[in-house]
Amino acid sequence: MASIRRVKGENLYIRYLILSCWGLFCLMPVLWFLSIGFRPRTEIITAQPIYFPTLSLDAWHMIWSDWPMAKYLRNSVAAIFGSVMIDLVLAIPAAYSLSRYEYRGREDIGFYILSTRMMAPAIVAIPIFFLFRNLGLLDTIWALMLVYAAINLSIVTWIIRSYMTDIPRELEDAARTDGAGDLRILWEIIIPAILPGIITAAVIAMIFVINEFLFTLLIASTPDAYTMSVALANFTGGSDGVIYNAIALVAFLAFVPVFLVVIAIQKHLSRGLTMGAVKG
Amino acid sequence: MAQIELKGVSKRWGAVWGVRKVDIEIADKELLVLLGPSGCGKTTTMRMIAGLEDPSEGEITFDGEVMNAVDARDRDVAMVFQGYALYPNMSIYENIRFPLRMRNVPKDKQDELVRRAAKMVELSDYLNRKPGALSGGQRQRAALARAIVREPQIFLMDEPLSNLDAQLRQAMRVQIKYIQRELQITTVYVTHDQIEAMTLADRIVVMQGGAVQQVGTPDEIYSDPANTFVASFIGAPPMNLIDGMIKDGNFVADHVEVPDVGIKTTGQIRLGIRPEDCAVVSSAEQRHNMKGDVYGVEPTGDMTVLTLRVGEKNLEIKADRDYRSELGVQENVVFDTNRLYFFDSQSGERVR
Ligand SMILES: Nc1ncnc2c1ncn2[C@@H]1O[C@H](COP(=O)(O)OP(=O)(O)O)[C@@H](O)[C@H]1O
Ligand SMILES: [Mg+2]
Repeated sequence: MASIRRVKGENLYIRYLILSCWGLFCLMPVLWFLSIGFRPRTEIITAQPIYFPTLSLDAWHMIWSDWPMAKYLRNSVAAIFGSVMIDLVLAIPAAYSLSRYEYRGREDIGFYILSTRMMAPAIVAIPIFFLFRNLGLLDTIWALMLVYAAINLSIVTWIIRSYMTDIPRELEDAARTDGAGDLRILWEIIIPAILPGIITAAVIAMIFVINEFLFTLLIASTPDAYTMSVALANFTGGSDGVIYNAIALVAFLAFVPVFLVVIAIQKHLSRGLTMGAVKG
Repeated sequence: MAQIELKGVSKRWGAVWGVRKVDIEIADKELLVLLGPSGCGKTTTMRMIAGLEDPSEGEITFDGEVMNAVDARDRDVAMVFQGYALYPNMSIYENIRFPLRMRNVPKDKQDELVRRAAKMVELSDYLNRKPGALSGGQRQRAALARAIVREPQIFLMDEPLSNLDAQLRQAMRVQIKYIQRELQITTVYVTHDQIEAMTLADRIVVMQGGAVQQVGTPDEIYSDPANTFVASFIGAPPMNLIDGMIKDGNFVADHVEVPDVGIKTTGQIRLGIRPEDCAVVSSAEQRHNMKGDVYGVEPTGDMTVLTLRVGEKNLEIKADRDYRSELGVQENVVFDTNRLYFFDSQSGERVR
């Protein structure tokens, strides 16, 4: 008995060792960013592979004082938050319909919604540009919200649908016999019951668009609508050349909020990410 | 309070019949039990009464008023679901209050009614808990409280006790019957458990394959079954069915003979005799109706279930609690000839 337990214990150490190596490997780029971001510009390119830089806050001060980084951050947050809200408002009723009502073509509609995700973005880039120009929405975060919402609507709908399908039908029937109408049932029974699913869908949507670049660059032409991802591009080219330590810092800043949110909800996240695999 | 009537009600999904031309009348304040094996259409029948499913054919009336087009939320029925269907994110208090809130009962009245209902099912101490933090029996009672809180016209209960252990089930059965009598609300109760049906019901509707087999009081269902299905579904162990012939007024089968059974037809027939209407006779000389070899002896405490191998069939007999025997021993059995049932060999319908 004792020996079996010891073997188990050793197994555990080996497991931790392997996982730690893997974790270090995955986090390497992040640590790299940090290291580059907080060193002087002169030390960015060195011959030694392992190098202990002098700590410097030059890049940190530069991104906040020479560029409206706070504004970019605000734009990013507003566009992403707004887009996720739009997605939820549209996706929850759609998912409810797809998971609950029986009607002809239901599966086809579900698939059609998903298929919008499969389209190559370049195909719609030009039409979208003209669309927003005609609407007078170019270079606004409203346009970004709409585009981000469109990018994520299908995946958000499918994730929420998968959670709704899991809710026992009896729950709704009970609410109906208790005297509740469709909207009441959705609001008071279904949504609270699938709240983890809704949060998961929202976070996944957020991860997908925080690095969105193509459409953002297309729509944003001044700092009014620049987001973090487009701001990164500002540090390349121009008279200053490529400012690697600023790029590294901004990339790190864009990474941190997502990282924190993912840690907070990681328990639910795996379910959301695998939903396509386990649900029809 | 309501009288319910189902007239020729059917439910079909494409080629699948869930319920087939069901006619049932349920009197005001009656406790009617729908009894049948799994898949016989009990839940579907109940869901149609609740308005959660539309009948494909036929009419459902409450107090003579046709309800087919009336939405579930406007039928004033309360349902207890098989899986309890408590709202997981609400406390027990909020669960019980939900129907009151939906029907705009005045706020100050709500609290009083919730507490009264909780008290009736002995859940007063658990009102702040979430359903997830309750045991099966407590959830069951919470579901019951949610149904009784607003005193609906009709109660519908779909196998409410099937997830409970035997002891709790007996206690809840008594409680349900008591509450139903006290509130005097017309109740339809669904179960596949014949004991539950026998003990609870004013009348039982036995269903099979979506169709009604027999409607009657528990006594009628037990002592006057309409066909072999009802006969063998009620009673544990079930009624013994023996295929044989009528010859010169006597019933004859392999190792079985019953004289002067009073059946006028001749030829193939099926005899039914309940295990409790058979008795083992002590000596071979005594008058007996059946011979068989002991195949199994199962003492249950208050009696002993004896299984005899008679020809090709196993037949069961409720013997005395002290009865013991070795396997393979030959036993003779006498029937209570006042309690013989005869059924058509083909259709299974009762022959009188
Ligand atoms: N939505 C449905 N679609 C197709 N068939 C169904 C549906 N609901 C029930 N059935 C069928 O109808 C029959 C009766 O079901 P049900 O009323 O649930 O039986 P019970 O409650 O007596 O176990 C079953 O054969 C079942 O498979
Ligand atoms: Mg059922």
